Amino acid sequence: MSTNCFLVISGPNLNLLGCRETSIYGGSSLEDIHQALQESATAMDLSVDCFQFNLEGDIVDCLQGAPEKYSGVIINAGALAHDSYTLRSAIGSLLLPCIEVFISNMDTREEFRHHSVIAPVCLGVIGGFGKQSYVLALEALANLSNQ
Amino acid sequence: MQTKIAVIHGPNLNMLGLREVGIYGGNSMQSINNEIAAAADPLGVTVEFFQSNHEGELVTFIQQCRGRVKGIVLNAGAYTHYSIAMRDAITAAQVNVVEVHISNIFKRETFRHVSVIGAVCIGQICGLGAQGYILGLKALLCERLPIEEPS
Repeated sequence: MSTNCFLVISGPNLNLLGCRETSIYGGSSLEDIHQALQESATAMDLSVDCFQFNLEGDIVDCLQGAPEKYSGVIINAGALAHDSYTLRSAIGSLLLPCIEVFISNMDTREEFRHHSVIAPVCLGVIGGFGKQSYVLALEALANLSNQ
Repeated sequence: MQTKIAVIHGPNLNMLGLREVGIYGGNSMQSINNEIAAAADPLGVTVEFFQSNHEGELVTFIQQCRGRVKGIVLNAGAYTHYSIAMRDAITAAQVNVVEVHISNIFKRETFRHVSVIGAVCIGQICGLGAQGYILGLKALLCERLPIEEPS
């Protein structure tokens, strides 16, 4: 297992960032976010692999294989955060620290977004800071693995 | 010029290190504040710390932050879950606030899953221990924040 490599997963519809509801999600594309993560990783002397999936099962497959290669996971599950017990089970059995991130502040949005079914099985949650939510989560995981 | 950020600890956080260490960790509030100040210094940030167990004192302090600090990192403790007065103070202060919790509140009792201040904060960080405060401070340094300083 590499101790310096982290997995970043973005869920459904996040491939549309930058062209979808930019007043909520901002103008950054997913590629911009991945680039910011790569730059931050390089500065901290670690590496990240970033993936996006629209299919719930693909995320589960990716998480199940994660312990072989990664020391922590950052996940923006998109709308699956609110309804996917399958994802919750996959994260719950992960044996790796996982931080849930959101681009927007869920509390300012529709009621159904106020509840995440995966938050209780994650180490913590960072939301509301745009692409910086991801970068801050990477810093948190890096600090944890140094402790 | 130095950027000023306020770090506010709500009720019972003065007991950190002595209280339920399995949940909140063994660090005292003072040692957490020292860590925050040490992280802030190289970023050109001066931190003003405030702790109170009293809702009204927290309201007054938040009001007084208006136009005076770039942002607030706020751990409102249990007031998070029911203090509409603090929510109103945040709105009135017209200041960017990051909500921070040491523990993952979503792993805990149901009454802690709801934050009445969340919707008036710019975002939330929870479950990452004392470093949540430092991450919150860094979030306040990003280029574009939702609330512009009051004129």
